[in-house]
Amino acid sequence: MTAVVQAEGLTKYYGKRRGLEDLTLEIQPGEVFGYLGPNGAGKTTTIRLLLDVIRPTRGHVRVLGGGSREAAVRGRIGYLPGELALEGRERARDYLEFLGRVRGGVPRARVDALAERLNADLSVPMRKLSKGNKQKIGLIQAFMHEPELLILDEPTGGLDPLVQQEFLTMVREVRTAGRTVLMSSHVLAEVEHVSDRVGIVREGRLIAVENVAALREKAVRRIELHFDAPVPAEEFAGLPGVRDLRVTGAAVRCTIDGRPDALIKAAARHTVVHLVSAEPDLEEIFLTYYSDEERHDDRQESA
Amino acid sequence: MIAKSLRDYRRSLIGWAIGLSAFMMMYLGVYSSIKQSPDLYGAQAMAKFPGALKDLMGGLQDFTSGAGYLQSVVYQLFVPFLFIACAMLAANRAIAQPEEAGTLELIVTLPIDRKRLVLDRFAALALGLLAVAAVTLLVTWVMAEAVGIGVTFDRILAAHTGVLLLGLFFGTVTLAVGAATGRRALATTVVGGWALLGYVVVTIGKSVEAIAWLKWVSPFHYYAEGQPLYQGLPVGDYLVLAGATAVLALTAVLAFDRRDVGV
Ligand SMILES: Nc1ncnc2c1ncn2[C@@H]1O[C@H](COP(=O)(O)OP(=O)(O)OP(=O)(O)O)[C@@H](O)[C@H]1O
Ligand SMILES: [Mg+2]
Repeated sequence: MTAVVQAEGLTKYYGKRRGLEDLTLEIQPGEVFGYLGPNGAGKTTTIRLLLDVIRPTRGHVRVLGGGSREAAVRGRIGYLPGELALEGRERARDYLEFLGRVRGGVPRARVDALAERLNADLSVPMRKLSKGNKQKIGLIQAFMHEPELLILDEPTGGLDPLVQQEFLTMVREVRTAGRTVLMSSHVLAEVEHVSDRVGIVREGRLIAVENVAALREKAVRRIELHFDAPVPAEEFAGLPGVRDLRVTGAAVRCTIDGRPDALIKAAARHTVVHLVSAEPDLEEIFLTYYSDEERHDDRQESA
Repeated sequence: MIAKSLRDYRRSLIGWAIGLSAFMMMYLGVYSSIKQSPDLYGAQAMAKFPGALKDLMGGLQDFTSGAGYLQSVVYQLFVPFLFIACAMLAANRAIAQPEEAGTLELIVTLPIDRKRLVLDRFAALALGLLAVAAVTLLVTWVMAEAVGIGVTFDRILAAHTGVLLLGLFFGTVTLAVGAATGRRALATTVVGGWALLGYVVVTIGKSVEAIAWLKWVSPFHYYAEGQPLYQGLPVGDYLVLAGATAVLALTAVLAFDRRDVGV
């Protein structure tokens, strides 16, 4: 299976300003890839390079087995710009119709269905749309021709929580259909529930690519167990993966590295009346993951 | 794509067509009163104008004859410049304006070749200007007949073709600068500067030896030198304008194909 996106040493400088440095990345068909990074990290730069809006200073990228310089390849991509601009007196419906025609025809029913799901009003002149409502039009035009690859730059910006949920459902459907998604965001929490893998860029460099499931496995979880009677602390001490153990009477509090299996089996010898397990904070591990990486780099440099 | 661009231009072009037509009706409308009082507007009266100003207005000889009046009032200064302004504004809407507004980014990611995109927008510009020229030609001709200017239709057509070619030329300059740089202000400056200097060179500059040679790079030289109202279609001059326009359009296509959009 050939990769949908294949970047090698992709580098972009805006004059002397660095946009992206030496990006090497592969995205496989059917994958949802979350592309994360703080402001100015290089997410939009990467995405514009993928779509041939801007040209690389060095390196190259293949998209859908070809170059996105070719119009036919762009026809198989759906794109939501990070700084979506829609303006003019034209009504959203007419604009979508125009885009659909250029893309070789999109059934009106499909546009209507998307508009209904996202609760978008297509009869308003575009310059009168609010930010979130513009974003909905942007999403509709990206999804409406059912492209093989969706490239979405900060898709959830400006959307209310309900619409965000609907959008995530749409992304899941795309993945189920075997199509591929690349979406950028500032925070992991926004993409972790739909992404298979996430990559982090910072200051123009891709510093980590991680499988979300693996990340979850590595996650640190806080667990609290309450029993019907006090329990001996020794039974819980020294269990694999258990850290920061505190036993106070009938309550056990600790954090878990990885699988909670040993803890659960130890607890099963007593009567559990209450269990609290906080959702693992992937963001936190991610941050520790790449601050470790940086320390590692520093050491290498000083050596 | 052409149809879409035309739809985008529609409002402004209709506005320009109406404005230009109104201008012609007004100025051509007063011709009958001028014809009746030759002493007021005749050669002696015109001699009172300062020389440089007269040069700038294209000489102002023979204000009372039909062709002279039509030349001085319509084809000398006002209509070509208004038409150039119209062409420039329309041409800026092709690339530079949507690029600065950010709407071009989505368009270049559509499955249309970038070269094709610029060509289509050029074609839309040409068609739009043709429409404005056709409407104003009709108005000019009807008015000329009504007030008895006494210039035949083919001469008016020849002069009006010049206006169209001149406007299209400067529109294409705008398009080329916009396509190459994405900067509307720059395109406007280049066109404004070139048009003004070009005009000055072929009017006042004619008598100044040092800059007279500059007329070869002034589009107005090719526009006015053949005196289409008197002599009919100046084929060679017009072909120069059309050829230069084609070269500029090609430049626009190649330049846009090569660069980053929206940076
Ligand atoms: N047109 C441009 N001209 C000059 N520098 C630019 C341009 N666009 C981006 N940059 C620089 O390139 C770097 C990466 O910018 P980019 O827009 O890719 O960041 P981003 O990750 O998308 O940020 P954000 O989260 O704010 O959207 C930044 O340092 C930015 O200043
Ligand atoms: Mg961005």
